[in-house]
Amino acid sequence: MRLTAHIAACIALAFAGPTAVLGAPRVPADDHEVLERLPGRAGDAGARQAAALREALAREPANLGLALRAAQVHIARGRSESDPRQFGQAQAALSPWWSQPEPPVAVLVLRATLRQNAHQFASAREDLAQAVRRDPRNAQAWLTLATVQQVMGDLDGARQSCTRLEPLVADPIAAICTASIDGVSGRAGPALESVEQALARSARVDPHVRGWALSLQAELAERMGREQEAERLWRVALALDPSDTYAAAGLADFLLDRNRHDEVAALIPAGTPSDPLLLRRVLAVRRQGQAGAASETESLASRFAASRARGDRVHLREEARFALEVRGDARAARELAAENWKNQKEAADARIALEAALAAGEPASAGEVLAWIEAHGLEGDRIAALRARLAKARRA
Amino acid sequence: MSLRNFMRGAAALALSFFACAVLAHKPSDSYLTLRVEADAVSGQWDIALRDLDLAIGLDADGDGAITWGEVRARHDAIEAYALGRLDLSSDSQPCPVHVVERLVDAHSDGGYAVLRIAGRCARPVETLAVGYRLLFDRDAQHRGLLNLVAGAGSRSAVFGTDSRAQSFRLAQPSWPRQLGSYIADGIRHIAIGFDHILFLIALLLPAVLVRENRRWRPTGSLRATLWNVFGIVSAFTVAHSLTLTLASLEFVRLPSRLVESLIAVSVFATALDNLVPFLPRRRWLVAFVFGLMHGFGFASVLLDLQLPPGSLALSLLGFNVGVEIGQLALVALVVPLAHLARRRLAYERVALGLGSAAIAVVAFGWFVERAFSVAFMPV
Repeated sequence: MRLTAHIAACIALAFAGPTAVLGAPRVPADDHEVLERLPGRAGDAGARQAAALREALAREPANLGLALRAAQVHIARGRSESDPRQFGQAQAALSPWWSQPEPPVAVLVLRATLRQNAHQFASAREDLAQAVRRDPRNAQAWLTLATVQQVMGDLDGARQSCTRLEPLVADPIAAICTASIDGVSGRAGPALESVEQALARSARVDPHVRGWALSLQAELAERMGREQEAERLWRVALALDPSDTYAAAGLADFLLDRNRHDEVAALIPAGTPSDPLLLRRVLAVRRQGQAGAASETESLASRFAASRARGDRVHLREEARFALEVRGDARAARELAAENWKNQKEAADARIALEAALAAGEPASAGEVLAWIEAHGLEGDRIAALRARLAKARRA
Repeated sequence: MSLRNFMRGAAALALSFFACAVLAHKPSDSYLTLRVEADAVSGQWDIALRDLDLAIGLDADGDGAITWGEVRARHDAIEAYALGRLDLSSDSQPCPVHVVERLVDAHSDGGYAVLRIAGRCARPVETLAVGYRLLFDRDAQHRGLLNLVAGAGSRSAVFGTDSRAQSFRLAQPSWPRQLGSYIADGIRHIAIGFDHILFLIALLLPAVLVRENRRWRPTGSLRATLWNVFGIVSAFTVAHSLTLTLASLEFVRLPSRLVESLIAVSVFATALDNLVPFLPRRRWLVAFVFGLMHGFGFASVLLDLQLPPGSLALSLLGFNVGVEIGQLALVALVVPLAHLARRRLAYERVALGLGSAAIAVVAFGWFVERAFSVAFMPV
């Protein structure tokens, strides 16, 4: 019910349109006119908990235990609701320690998580390196470190971190950690098997961990060309947690690659609060030729513009895709994808970098990305096809 | 750490594997526009209702919906909160501001309170120092996006937890330099405004001829030619200056599609009249009536330059002077040539005949383009 109301409000706002930024300020005529609906309603346990923690923290801002709990609650809400304001509130809770060079380890891990979330991977990695140095048995720090290293393209470092994690955690987690790295370094098949086995060995698996495992399995199956299995896994992951935007984006990409645009448009509602999901929706409705496509495109463009205006650079991958597939501006896409590649090196980053270099007619510019793919052995039909086309274009 | 807690943490972190995909709806931003004219500061500040609710509480009945009534009831608190977190000063002297209007607006991520503010500095501002600390204690990723307008220029700046105090030097160009740039704008507009150029040419081509008994004959003297030209150009100037002024001051407003279409019609009619006379014989009257339309066209260019309100008179004067200079340059180019060539038979046939026909064709194309919003013309 709440989700429906939220989506309805979002749709209304979407129709208010990007021009709303330059709208006409007014004085409402009616005192009862609702101007805003707060995301956490009064009956929402998470919102109540966050509010109570904020109040307690306002009385004792230097209480580390309270601050850590408040930050964790805000981070969890930020993820489940795709609401970036929550991350800012998490950071505010940690503000007495935020600028310290050596804050408590628990603060380091959360600071790294927030920095990772803002795509400041290098500083996140520094925080985590310090955390595991000071507390080598900190499983969270090792896991987050592995994640950050993988995003930065340091697969060897990530694999080592997963190894260090192994003795510290229950069964499926370390296996999933390692499999996610094997999956982009030439061992997608064995990685898929190892996740299946680890899940089979584990009696009880936390739903979030299961969701993580399912998305990874889906990606690996897709990379292995096992299409039906991949689709089934994406759908199971999404059914497990309908608010899982990663799974939703993964399924949407799977469908977009197969020209199943109607299903993407049905999967992602108009006015979704998540920018990556809105990008997928825009790609689908434009290819369908839907009437509202132009206004949704502008709405997405204005979100990117708003993000740039505040100095954020978290959308580079999506912006590159937007430039290439929506605007048809291959040159801009190539520049964005190259800038993105400097910061993050996941399979999707490699793919958009290759696609943009090809489209821009600058195959030579993809050299660094190709070298990375070759060095690590990233598999997949699409990557292979792109590499072949680039090799041909470079010979020509 | 208990296993249970760890699992919760690990689960949360598991999602962080996906952080790249789980991106923003919209982080917290406020939008602050400040205008500085001499010692006066005015502006507008849009602050998200969600953020204000977080900072000072707006949702009085706790139902999760913020109504206009709830906002109104908290206006004093909103103002005290916001203005207490914005420091404007010049030469170390504070520029106290107060709220003059309380409005609301909808941005792409929800409802915003809009505060119109005004204040005064001790002296005309050369450097404006802005201290901004709204919401930073509540949302450390909040940003204040400033658009600062002073003189002819505007600039933007971002305030964040690490950039709470910034100074802006408002190097206002002196008025002669401003005037110069507006004059240049006016000249440029004529130089690239093919419709104005063709209109003038169509008006001026017959100025070296006299119409008698349904035939053209050359004017007897340079004096007669110049007298003709003077009447035409003066009428055109008076007319377009009139409408340019009225439209720039926003006394009169016409839709630009109508204006642009009518300008095309004026070019077409004037050129056609050279071939098949049907307009009044008094050419200056034609120049005057059509000049009114062209003035509206000039005004839309001037408005597009987004001038600061304080320099409207200066910009109007400068732009108009620029337009006249451009126009006189064209006259100085066309009229002597026409006058020298007027006795040749080819002048009437080629210059007046074919020239006017070509202009009429182009103008007709423009009209179709502008009236029906299609594009096919190269210029």
